[in-house]
Amino acid sequence: MSTTPTESLNTGLNIQTMTEADDVLGRRKYIGMSVLRTEDPVFLTGRGKYTDDVHLPGMLHAAFLRSPYPHAKILSIDKTRALAIDGVHAVYTEADFEPILGHFVTTVHREEVLTVDRPIMDSTVARYVGQPIAVVLADSRYLAEDGVDLIDIQWEPLEPVMDPEKALEPDSTLVREDLGTNNFAHIEFQRGDTEGLFEGAAHVFSKRFHHGRFMAAPLEPRGVIADWDVASDELVVWSSTQIPHLIRTFTAGPLGIAESKMRVIADHVGGGFGMKAHVFDEEALIPASSKLSGKPIKWIEDRYENLAASLHSKEMIIYLEAAVDKDGKFLAFKGHYIGVGGAWPAHPWTSLIDTLPAASLLPSIYDIQAVSTQIDAPLTNRCPSGAYRGVGWTPGHVARETFIDDIAREMEIDPAEIRLMNSIPDEPFVSVTGMKYDGGSYSASLRKTLEMIDYEGLRKKQAELLKEGRYLGIGISPYVEPTAWGSEVAKANGFAAEFFDAANVTVEPDGSITVTTGCHNHGQAHYTTLAQVAADTLGVSFESIRVIENDSSQAVYGTGTYASRTAVVAGGAIMRAGKEVREKIIRLAAHAMEVSPEDVDLADGIASVKGVPDKSMTMAELGFMSYYGGSSRVPGVEPALTSTRSYDPPETYSNGTIIAIVEVDVETGLVDLQHIACCEDCGTMLNPMVVDGQMVGAISHGIGGAMYEDLAYADNGQFLSASLMDYLYPSTTEVPHMEISHIETPSVVTEGGIKGMGESGNIAAGAACINAIADALSSFGKIEINKTPIGPSDVMDLIRGLRGAK
Amino acid sequence: MSTNDQSAAATAEERIVRITVNGTAMSGIAEPRLLLHDFLRHELELTGTHAGCEHGVCGACTIRLNGEVVRSCIMFAVQADGASIETVEGMANNGVLHPIQVAFQEEHGLQCGFCTPGMLMATQTLLEENPDPSEDEIREYLSGNICRCTGYVGIVASVKSAAKKLSVIQSNANGKA
Repeated sequence: MSTTPTESLNTGLNIQTMTEADDVLGRRKYIGMSVLRTEDPVFLTGRGKYTDDVHLPGMLHAAFLRSPYPHAKILSIDKTRALAIDGVHAVYTEADFEPILGHFVTTVHREEVLTVDRPIMDSTVARYVGQPIAVVLADSRYLAEDGVDLIDIQWEPLEPVMDPEKALEPDSTLVREDLGTNNFAHIEFQRGDTEGLFEGAAHVFSKRFHHGRFMAAPLEPRGVIADWDVASDELVVWSSTQIPHLIRTFTAGPLGIAESKMRVIADHVGGGFGMKAHVFDEEALIPASSKLSGKPIKWIEDRYENLAASLHSKEMIIYLEAAVDKDGKFLAFKGHYIGVGGAWPAHPWTSLIDTLPAASLLPSIYDIQAVSTQIDAPLTNRCPSGAYRGVGWTPGHVARETFIDDIAREMEIDPAEIRLMNSIPDEPFVSVTGMKYDGGSYSASLRKTLEMIDYEGLRKKQAELLKEGRYLGIGISPYVEPTAWGSEVAKANGFAAEFFDAANVTVEPDGSITVTTGCHNHGQAHYTTLAQVAADTLGVSFESIRVIENDSSQAVYGTGTYASRTAVVAGGAIMRAGKEVREKIIRLAAHAMEVSPEDVDLADGIASVKGVPDKSMTMAELGFMSYYGGSSRVPGVEPALTSTRSYDPPETYSNGTIIAIVEVDVETGLVDLQHIACCEDCGTMLNPMVVDGQMVGAISHGIGGAMYEDLAYADNGQFLSASLMDYLYPSTTEVPHMEISHIETPSVVTEGGIKGMGESGNIAAGAACINAIADALSSFGKIEINKTPIGPSDVMDLIRGLRGAK
Repeated sequence: MSTNDQSAAATAEERIVRITVNGTAMSGIAEPRLLLHDFLRHELELTGTHAGCEHGVCGACTIRLNGEVVRSCIMFAVQADGASIETVEGMANNGVLHPIQVAFQEEHGLQCGFCTPGMLMATQTLLEENPDPSEDEIREYLSGNICRCTGYVGIVASVKSAAKKLSVIQSNANGKA
């Protein structure tokens, strides 16, 4: 394993960086409008088709036997009593899958990263509570669970590895013997003269922060149905996923089937938040079970399985250091990010999806001269860890922004002021880690959010309330969100990948338009927002557009929806394809009306001759003519009014500021989160209503992570957050009213100036809440919060500690 | 599980459960341990009602039973024998959305849609009990229905808007009477 600091970020080649569709915004009619969601009536009337709503004739139901031990050898498995149940058809373990199912091989393509090669079901060693050990197929889920209860297993419990820092020590018990180490990756990064700046600095500060383990926990758990037709050797999979095409690409190999014979449908998905942007073991095991049994198989995850055994995220131990000059100007940062991984790296992103982005975004909006980061990725006997809304930007942000408040308090500088004096300018900027910010309102959004809450007035009110023994706190959290995961932004975050996404735009014979993309719609309103983009690009009515995603056999190939990418990636691909189709429509109309194409305008679905309003053709006429117009079409020109184009955008970053206002009851430790104000900037907004919805939704996740949600393990490896009695979702009474405002700084590099958005609430709201709590308690003494989540008992511990220190 | 699955797993303990759903008499077979949401979804094929946690916390399975809001995931189907049940499928009238549904679309009260059926059932009951609720009353009443997408901002706005729409309809109806 190399320990040489890397300079390898941003060295790849993007083959299509230039914008092509710059004229679209000039004729926009729908982009920027809060068009109501065309998706809604289906959901409002209960006609959604989520995975568990699909029923196939002859279908059997699966239930998994999952390990109750964090670490154990399995000495024997006896299926006899389970198979004796009337209605139980099969019990499969690793040995049954071995002849027909390959392995998952997981790595990140960097020399510092190891590779984990493992059977998709391991029935010999359990490495976390919840690991699938066997699967039972039965006539109903009830009977399948009866079968699970009657599988007889001899376990030999082993020492669990739970402390992530001890796991890195050379004599630690190993989670995986085959790796020879618990550290999946050690990565160092260095830019600028960090050591020199630290030596010469007037002040050096340091902090250890333990960010909590929380998760997407979508309201619809996972679910997979597989129907492997052994006669035609065709496989149809329904899965509650954000990445239908990637499920196909990553599972077809292990399953031994051609991708062309495999279809993945993810029609309606009840929330994903990045968790469902992984390839899960069950997504291979259920198709393999269908192949072995010759029957369609359904598995619907229950809430225990979702909490214990789907995917955890964001737990990290972070050591930060800052070199600061005498006036409070930041000079250099150091960060050591220890990601608390699970028993194996989540497929395919690995736990590095938290640590690498956390380290890459260390400078955020701050104009520093040098940075040094280190990453370690210990495996532990926990559920695997991977991507969830905001990925590692969240823990990295919470640690950095609470650290900055500590520094501000220590130096007696206002927390808003210290941020404004260190902020980069509101223009394109290359951060010290090499991220290419494409212009934004890095300090303007902070100023605007301060205005929204009347910051000075609120500080006065805070001082007055303190005299009455009331503890108001204000927490400030400005952010940059890397968005539109494509080749460039992936590399800027340490992931070497070069790929593209595509869209097809096709005029149907009646003049209506079908648009397909390889992204996935699961709450973000793509069928509305992307139709807005297509309508403006083409110059047709919004109502004439239909957008199709969520089915690998109906939509063009693409890598799905995650990392705030679809508005930019699919929007840009639609603009490119739509521009070509518009040109084809105009050429056909010009030929039919015997004028030159330059003299034809296409607007609202009518192609008309400029200056001759009564000389025009409708899209219905043009669509029919393109398919059935015979010799009236343009000679020598491909007649189909269609185009498929791809887009791999340059790096693009949204930004903004979130401020939280709390009042802390110092007798009970209860935190009353009274208000959230936010000013966000995502460049060209497609649909402000949807932008607001993404913002407030993500903020509620940030509140959960900061104050409520905790995937706790006992020291002996037992999982303690196994129900929603223990894992606390914020409800209507925990999430306050929120006020969202906007600054619109179009990207200088993307099609249409669109930037991604949707995760920043979860990146930045947690730090706002924690900073507000610390601010409320700052009158007790030198406060430093160094963990999340912070519940009432933690608040009481903080107060007791401060009172004791006096 | 479906009707077919049930008969395949027939046991002597199975019962016929007769309920009225959205005004229509329906019946199906249930063994005593079959949960009401599974009976509605898989025996009666009314998949609008969802299961999110199966331990009575998240509210996705909320239905109305004899006019009261209940969690269909912590009740057995056999306990509902003879009851009158309302589900999301009964809310719109022949494709015409109920004012509460219109309000949820207009105020962006849903994203992925999974919590929506339960949220609508709870909202309908709240507004019958309290036609003009304050924001605090709305938040208190809906605190047992989890939405992971919206941060509740759109939902609270939807309920306020629905209350206004229903009060206009009510006053128009009173005017005619």
